[in-house]
Amino acid sequence: MRKGKGTRIAAFGVALAMTVGLLAGCGGGKEASPQSGGTGGTPAAEAKPLKVGAVFILSGNNAGYGLAQRPGVELAVEEINKAGGINGRMIEVTFEDSQGKTEEAVNAVRKLIDKDEVLAIIGPTLSGEMSSAGKVAQEAGVPILGVSTTAKGITDIGNFVFRNSLPEAGVLPYTVKAAREKYNLKKVAVLHAANDQFSVSGYNTFMEELKKQGIEVVVEASFNTGDREFGAQITKVLAANPDGLVVSSLYQEAALFMVQARQAGYKGPIIGGNGFNSPKLAEVAKEAAEGSIVGSPWFGGRDDAKVKAFVKAYTEKTGKAPDQFAAQAYDGMMLIAEALKQGGDNRDKIRDALAGIKNYVGVTGQFAFDENRNPVMTPFVLEIQGGQYVELKK
Amino acid sequence: MSYYLQVATFICISGILGLSVYLVLSTGQLTLGNAGFMLLGGYTAGLLAIRLGWPIWLTVPAGGLLAAVVAVPLGAATLRLRGVYLAIATLGFTQSLVVIANNLTITGGALGLKDIPNLAARLQRFLRGVLAEAPLGLTMAQFANLLVLLISAALLGLAYWLIVRQGKSRVGRAFTAIRTDEVAASAMGINTTYYKVLAFAQGAFLAGVAGGMMAHLTYFIGPNDFGFSRAVEMLVFVVVGGTAVPAGPVLGAALLRALSEYLREAKDLRLIVYGGLMMLMVLVRPQGLLTPGMFAGWRRRLGLGPRRPAPGKGAGA
Amino acid sequence: MFLQQLLNGLTQGGTYALIAIGYTLIFGVLEIINMAHGEVFMIGAMVGYALVMLLGWGLVPALLGGMIGAALLGAVLEFTALRALRRKGVSNLAPLISTIGLGMVLQNLMIRFAGAEPLPFRVPLSSGVLKLGPLQATATQLVVLGVSLVLMILLQWTLSRTGLGRAVRAVSENAETAALLGVNVSGIVLATVMLASALGGAAGVLVGVSFVSVSAVMGLGYGLKGLAVIILGGLGNVSGAVAGGLLIGVLEAMTVAYGEAFSGYKDAVAFIFLFLILVVRPQGLFGQNAAVTRRS
Repeated sequence: MRKGKGTRIAAFGVALAMTVGLLAGCGGGKEASPQSGGTGGTPAAEAKPLKVGAVFILSGNNAGYGLAQRPGVELAVEEINKAGGINGRMIEVTFEDSQGKTEEAVNAVRKLIDKDEVLAIIGPTLSGEMSSAGKVAQEAGVPILGVSTTAKGITDIGNFVFRNSLPEAGVLPYTVKAAREKYNLKKVAVLHAANDQFSVSGYNTFMEELKKQGIEVVVEASFNTGDREFGAQITKVLAANPDGLVVSSLYQEAALFMVQARQAGYKGPIIGGNGFNSPKLAEVAKEAAEGSIVGSPWFGGRDDAKVKAFVKAYTEKTGKAPDQFAAQAYDGMMLIAEALKQGGDNRDKIRDALAGIKNYVGVTGQFAFDENRNPVMTPFVLEIQGGQYVELKK
Repeated sequence: MSYYLQVATFICISGILGLSVYLVLSTGQLTLGNAGFMLLGGYTAGLLAIRLGWPIWLTVPAGGLLAAVVAVPLGAATLRLRGVYLAIATLGFTQSLVVIANNLTITGGALGLKDIPNLAARLQRFLRGVLAEAPLGLTMAQFANLLVLLISAALLGLAYWLIVRQGKSRVGRAFTAIRTDEVAASAMGINTTYYKVLAFAQGAFLAGVAGGMMAHLTYFIGPNDFGFSRAVEMLVFVVVGGTAVPAGPVLGAALLRALSEYLREAKDLRLIVYGGLMMLMVLVRPQGLLTPGMFAGWRRRLGLGPRRPAPGKGAGA
Repeated sequence: MFLQQLLNGLTQGGTYALIAIGYTLIFGVLEIINMAHGEVFMIGAMVGYALVMLLGWGLVPALLGGMIGAALLGAVLEFTALRALRRKGVSNLAPLISTIGLGMVLQNLMIRFAGAEPLPFRVPLSSGVLKLGPLQATATQLVVLGVSLVLMILLQWTLSRTGLGRAVRAVSENAETAALLGVNVSGIVLATVMLASALGGAAGVLVGVSFVSVSAVMGLGYGLKGLAVIILGGLGNVSGAVAGGLLIGVLEAMTVAYGEAFSGYKDAVAFIFLFLILVVRPQGLFGQNAAVTRRS
């Protein structure tokens, strides 16, 4: 053994560990937050900024969501700051990556609360992460707003936990009803992705709703998020000859599935849950997606000035059209901004102000929080025509 | 403050995980199964607490025990596997458990297990009942988090101490003999089956305990927390820190986890830098940061005699 | 239905086989698992995507482009993550970790460039469907299956009939002896890594074609499956990798078709099956000996 060298390297290793630890500790206050849009070269720039935190999945398998959500928040902050900020103070947002892991989400939220001392938090992306991060925020008395968490019972975590993402239970009844009426559905096949939270909770809600509306489920099949080959499921499902296919999955799998189903000869309607809500669905599936039905709080093709402006700005910023995740993230930041107007630097006041929002009009439409801090809004039922989402014609 | 306490607590858990892999590796078995055992321990502890109301000091060891019990047949089944075959087979075990956890209702499926009783919260409630004010000028919440850290560090310390002790005992020598040359060890009368399965079960116990602790620290666990990336992460702690001394995985865990947190500063480049640093560390020091020869060197410098005769240089990485 | 599922399974299995061959070739000459192989697969697909969608190339040139791109990446892999670690004569845990690190870097770099979502990947293929009795095969399936088979046959021919192939087999068998016999071992290692990567890249393009999309995160799932396949087939054994890949593809299709309650478990099928085989045959289905190397 090269003793001398070995010792030196070991000492180096330990010193490195300690240095890293110290740096992480003493690095407080120097976090590199992205520049908040408008520069406000005014005397108000001396006023302390209003700090907000955001936790999204920005890497790993599910990074697609977070990477769509972040620009939504950034856009909102830029707009607000350009218009002079809130009471003359700029908003400063710090983004953290949860990587889709519970441990990371907890660390991220703790860092935002303790080190960055944010007034409110947006996110995290997944309902599971919220079950963990939300509790931490609740215990610390920091308002946290989920902009994509759609599972049941999220806001039961506590009175500091909010969400503006309409849960499946608020959307699917409309979707199923509209589809049933248009296509006279009596028996359907239900497929779902078994291994991701959005799809599973959507599936549960679909099954309840189909039962309630008297539609028979003749065959079921499942697959996994990340699957790209559905031949087996398609063969099985088409053998039962359903009037319609109900699919609860994310858009990637849904798109691939549709293409393969159409290739296999299926001609009927395809009804989807939240996961269908993306312009990418039609991009990937092309003709196979024609006629697909989905309910959504977000409709980018709406003839509304606010919506058009948002779509334009977002597309310029990112090169892609905004999807539901982006839209809800944008609205979420706007909601927080509303609360900041009244609550200032006081987290409790911000919480109360947030809870009191009863009449806000965002790009996703009319919005209010109910007494459980869940969203009150009416979704649109859309179908794909000519590669675009349009409102469903009966 | 709570942030640093939280990170340090997770570092202790990571240290336990590193030690769990180390134990199995010390018999020459390359395992990626401890993430699966962590899953078992976590869900067991969580479910016992939620459904049966067991206290945390019971659920965590119970999780570890269940994992150890499952490890016995698994270890026995994989006895004849070597090297990469064993690694992939154990990876298969982990992946299968993740898929199962994703599909069962009792584990909450893809939505995971939530509302798990939280150690810090429990401690805080207890403390409020007995103390008027938290000591050291901390808030009650911070003090509770500090206690949680101390408990986790104590568990890590206990695991470490037991492993060091075992390493000096007959069991430890058997492990090393098996690692160096299994056939020769067997020829010399060492019951390799027993020791290999023992190491496997011990590693599983530690991983299960770590899983149970994790569940009680984060309120929520999901199948994705215990998959391939977790299994690999544990292995990296050991390889980077040093595969031949127990202090290695602990240092590796501390260094890598602290690094990962610090790299939040790097924003979007975080994982790129982390991966790059991993490659660099292994390139510069492929045998790991800490090696047994190193300790001998330090002892010599400090003027202490050799602790015990080294059981053959084959023990080195 | 059975025959149809069989075809579905074989098509999917063909891509698994291609990836697995890549792993097993590298293991043969280096005795390590290249954990970055899944990302090589992904980058091959991305190169194919860029050539088709951004430059308007056709399928065959894009496939070749993907393979070349992947091969070049393989060379980078060899020089950064692997070669330096061989010099020091270390255990094979270090290159394992090193390739894991590289995989992480590659995936996240790609996410930075291309985002994490699927990118639509349309190759001009007829949308015709070939019907053979009860079977239905889309043009896509035929292309994927066909190309996979052609590549596998080419590889087999290369390994058994060419000088390069003989040298690769010699190095796989015993590198020291091969060196003594005048083989340029490090050159052969480089060539093997590049060849293995090219096959992985081809698999990536084919998967992209099958599934009309590519994404920066497509490497993870396939990488893992590939690992299961090589162990099933026996490490270092190319025909084993092929057989294993096809077998796993078919098994997965059958699970979904016949076990309604089990379709969520599809991803576990490969590993559970693997596990059962290993208990009975620790060297895999076609492996030579219960791998003697104990360099862990």
